[in-house]
Amino acid sequence: MPKRKLGALEKVDADLPNLQHKIRRDPTSYTEDFRAQYYQYENHREIFMAAPTSATDTGILSLRDLIDFVSHVADCYPEISKSFPQELIDILTLYHTILEPELREKIVGSLVLLRKKNIIDSTTLLQTIFPVLTSTPSKNLRTLLFAKILSDLRTSNSKATNHKLNRTIQTVLYNLLTGDRTSSKGLWAVKLTRELWRRQLWTDAKTVEIMKEAGVAENEKVIVGGVRFFLGGDKEREEFEEDSSDDDGIDVSRIRHQVGINKKRKKATKALSKATTAVKRKEKKRNQPHPLNFSALHLLHDPQGFAEVLFSKHLQNPKSRLNLEQKLLVLQLVSRLIGLHKLTVLSFYSYFLKYLTPRQPSVTTFLACLAQSVHSLVPPDILESLIQKIANEFVSEAAAAEVASSGLNAIREICVRQPLAMNDTLLQDLVMYKKSKDKGVMMAAKGLLGLYREVGADMLKKRDRGKEAALGLRSGQRKQQVFGDIPAGEIEGLDLLEKWKKEERQRKRLEKGLPEERSDSEGEEEKEGEEEDWGAWDIEADISDDSGGWIDVESDKEIEISDEGEEESVEKKRVKLDVDLENKENDAPNTTETKPSNLATTRILTPADFAKLQELRAQAAVSLQLQKKGHKIHHPTAQSVPLTNSHRHMDDPLTAAEIEGLASLSKGRISREEKIAAQDEYKTDRAEHKSKAARKKERKSDEGKSTTNKEKARKKNFLMTLGKAKQKGKRSLVETRKVLKVHSERGKRGGKRGNR
Amino acid sequence: MGSSAKKKREKKKDFQKPKLRVGKARPKAANHTETSFRSKAIVLNQQSLHIEAPSTLSQFGHHLSLLSSRADAQRRDSLAYLTSFVTSRPVDSSLPQPLSTILPKIFPLILDGSSAVRQQSLRLLRALPRSEMSDHVAEILPYIRAGMTHLAADIRIFSVEVLAWSTDIASDEVVSCAGGWVKTLNCFLTLLGWHNQDSAKWSTHRVSFGKAGSEGKAQSRNLQVLADFLKAGFSTGRDLSETDENLESRCPFPRWHPEHHGLPKRSNAYGYLNLFGPPKDDDTDMLEDREDRIRVFKERFASSMEAGLASARKDAGEVGRATGLVTRALKDTEAG
Repeated sequence: MPKRKLGALEKVDADLPNLQHKIRRDPTSYTEDFRAQYYQYENHREIFMAAPTSATDTGILSLRDLIDFVSHVADCYPEISKSFPQELIDILTLYHTILEPELREKIVGSLVLLRKKNIIDSTTLLQTIFPVLTSTPSKNLRTLLFAKILSDLRTSNSKATNHKLNRTIQTVLYNLLTGDRTSSKGLWAVKLTRELWRRQLWTDAKTVEIMKEAGVAENEKVIVGGVRFFLGGDKEREEFEEDSSDDDGIDVSRIRHQVGINKKRKKATKALSKATTAVKRKEKKRNQPHPLNFSALHLLHDPQGFAEVLFSKHLQNPKSRLNLEQKLLVLQLVSRLIGLHKLTVLSFYSYFLKYLTPRQPSVTTFLACLAQSVHSLVPPDILESLIQKIANEFVSEAAAAEVASSGLNAIREICVRQPLAMNDTLLQDLVMYKKSKDKGVMMAAKGLLGLYREVGADMLKKRDRGKEAALGLRSGQRKQQVFGDIPAGEIEGLDLLEKWKKEERQRKRLEKGLPEERSDSEGEEEKEGEEEDWGAWDIEADISDDSGGWIDVESDKEIEISDEGEEESVEKKRVKLDVDLENKENDAPNTTETKPSNLATTRILTPADFAKLQELRAQAAVSLQLQKKGHKIHHPTAQSVPLTNSHRHMDDPLTAAEIEGLASLSKGRISREEKIAAQDEYKTDRAEHKSKAARKKERKSDEGKSTTNKEKARKKNFLMTLGKAKQKGKRSLVETRKVLKVHSERGKRGGKRGNR
Repeated sequence: MGSSAKKKREKKKDFQKPKLRVGKARPKAANHTETSFRSKAIVLNQQSLHIEAPSTLSQFGHHLSLLSSRADAQRRDSLAYLTSFVTSRPVDSSLPQPLSTILPKIFPLILDGSSAVRQQSLRLLRALPRSEMSDHVAEILPYIRAGMTHLAADIRIFSVEVLAWSTDIASDEVVSCAGGWVKTLNCFLTLLGWHNQDSAKWSTHRVSFGKAGSEGKAQSRNLQVLADFLKAGFSTGRDLSETDENLESRCPFPRWHPEHHGLPKRSNAYGYLNLFGPPKDDDTDMLEDREDRIRVFKERFASSMEAGLASARKDAGEVGRATGLVTRALKDTEAG
């Protein structure tokens, strides 16, 4: 009996949650009670601090309960609980290794709670728990702390970017990495930064700087973490964004429907309004202009230095302790940096020499890295020896077909980026493999051939050149590429815009009844008309005209227009010096095409212009696709930019799979299992083949709906239908007539439900 | 056709009753799980096979460890055993284990949920040798203070009793240890509900949360103990003069101030230097001098104490009388 009584007493007496609830409702009345409990907490803390290791559960109330209680109501009594956060911080930082796990988690949770109540700021919180994260041996605590740090950073960046906090934390992470380069603690910095990058909370150069430091650390894990970030961080970010935008998870119409059907409750209406606002917010967010996020590789400050340090520290250095896999990661990063930023690290290419043998493990990755690191500013003579080596080692009659095809692929990828690295004897040799019996090798050789038809047809034998290249060579349209020659950049599709503008102008003139070509005297009014036109565009583009609008800088255009003919001829001479004079008449159309458009240099393009440009570009792309489908027509722009994989972006890496590419064709007959596996890839997730009606029925029964009357009739027991069938024979003439009448009526109407 | 019969059969299957037959075992349920097992030997993990009964010493240790048992009755019985052991041991024989290992086990029981355990623990504390206890008073004070502000009224009342006992056995240490004066007085103010002058006026402002005990009686007892505590704080402390004379008389001329050169008489003689503990602030400061204590009292507690006393005096009966005791103790301050 006494035992039971005591249990009840315990419950009533030490009911902290009850007190907490009452304090929440009326803080001033319960000041004394809170003060008492705060003394209680202080004394328990004193008991704990006297012997932190041998802390026992004291009686009914434990320190844990008291901490929980005080942290929940601390915001009501800031004066009394002034020192509370600092005490928690002290306990955690001093004793986190010896605290019992539950108390430890409670302290962390309480600190986060205090942060949520704005009693401590984020900086204090993070500066307390981050050192614990890096130093605690407990895995549970680490996961907890990591989650808390991440969620705190997310919440403090949710409304607007909290630059101050971000900068502080970034500095902490940076110092963690640079402070002790050999320790594996830096891994936490890498993990945190990567996660924040993925969530697009940190997208600035400082973040990239942290990862750069990770890349040049001494600890293998940290190095790999940093390198992996550069290789895959951006893709991860994009995927995450797609994922998060995909899963709405809220079906407003469904909720609305349910609210309409079910009993009206406050809760349901609240849920509906919540869902609607959430969807609206999401919609709004989707319609917002896409934030311009640069990839990590582009935000890198001093890529040359970074690439050099990575190369010399991890790859060239014989003392480097990285294994092959890790080295390959570093190699991929360095080669991407070199290719992307067009860096010059000369010793980098000779580094490959010893790895370019078919026996080298994961040699395709080496080949891909080599190809990736080549760009137009690499001296061809360095590459020449490498290509020679690849050709000798990989491409021979004796080598296996897969080896030969991947060698050829690698050579092609290198030559795409630097066509000058090839000499004609080798090229002619390699092209001979197009007659190979093996399909993979044949395709690879044809790829190389196709490439050189475009970029250096004169190096091929005459019969290999093909019709177009041969014609081009004879007409002199194709000129020899020169090392270091960079074509002037231009806005893609600008010629289309210019053409379109010209057509518009002509159309207008025709409408007015003027001749198509304009004379000098008409230039003035023409321009004015154009200006009006321009104003109209502006209004369409939703830009306020009062704030100055677009300034028309066209004072000298008139002159330009007047002597367009002359200018054209001058330009012709300048561009095509090596063209012989006899071909001049034939050339005329070509030269107008190659002349760089001066639209962008003479006019300021309005947003409307850019919109039109976008439209035209899309149109051109579509028409190009259509043409390709019908019959192959050589397009002049496709000629200038040779691409192996039709639309490779500069930022996309070249992978080993692409080098292997056609090697899969070279493999012998595939086994049955492989065939089945390949088939399985195309399988849909449909369980079995069933008629549409059967599937519909299944769906209905899954949803808990009943069958239709028709179905019921069909399933009716045979014996039950017998009576009616018997009746049919016994019908009187009148009855039969009635039935037949109804039947013929129904036929006229067009079925039971009518045909109206 | 015919599907309905089949379906009926299928449906029926779920609701069929198992047939029970006399003399046969009950059929097993569909979700029956076999839990029996066969083993060649059963090993009991913890069994002690001793021929002789455990010695009293080992029993003492055993019961000491049982003080942190989960069962109330077990704790109470172990305390009772320890008490009887301590009281019935021969005079002049020392305890089987030093006090410094025994006491940390007993102190948490002051805050125990069961009143029987609490009472028994006080009994045990009383049974322990008084002279040695005075060194450990500083360790028990946090527990007492935690008890004085406890949510449970019974524990509040009980811990005042413990404070009365400790003031009785070691009045000097209680008031002069770290935090002993300021923090304990704070707790008293909370206990009596006198924390600020406002709250002293309104009886509702007292700590009322949790289950109230017999309020009036507790209040008078609290005031009595407060009076004792204040008296202890305002007294001059240990009468050193007598011992000085003794020493001086025992030691001949060339030794001057022998009490300063000899070994200290109390434990932690240099505690006020605070060489190893956490840094001290106003609350946890050691106030070893009577003058210090009076100064701090006048600075921080006098006004609210007087206001509280003024209102308490108006309560007639036992509380009023107890108030008189406290007032007298305060008057001594001004006199001395």
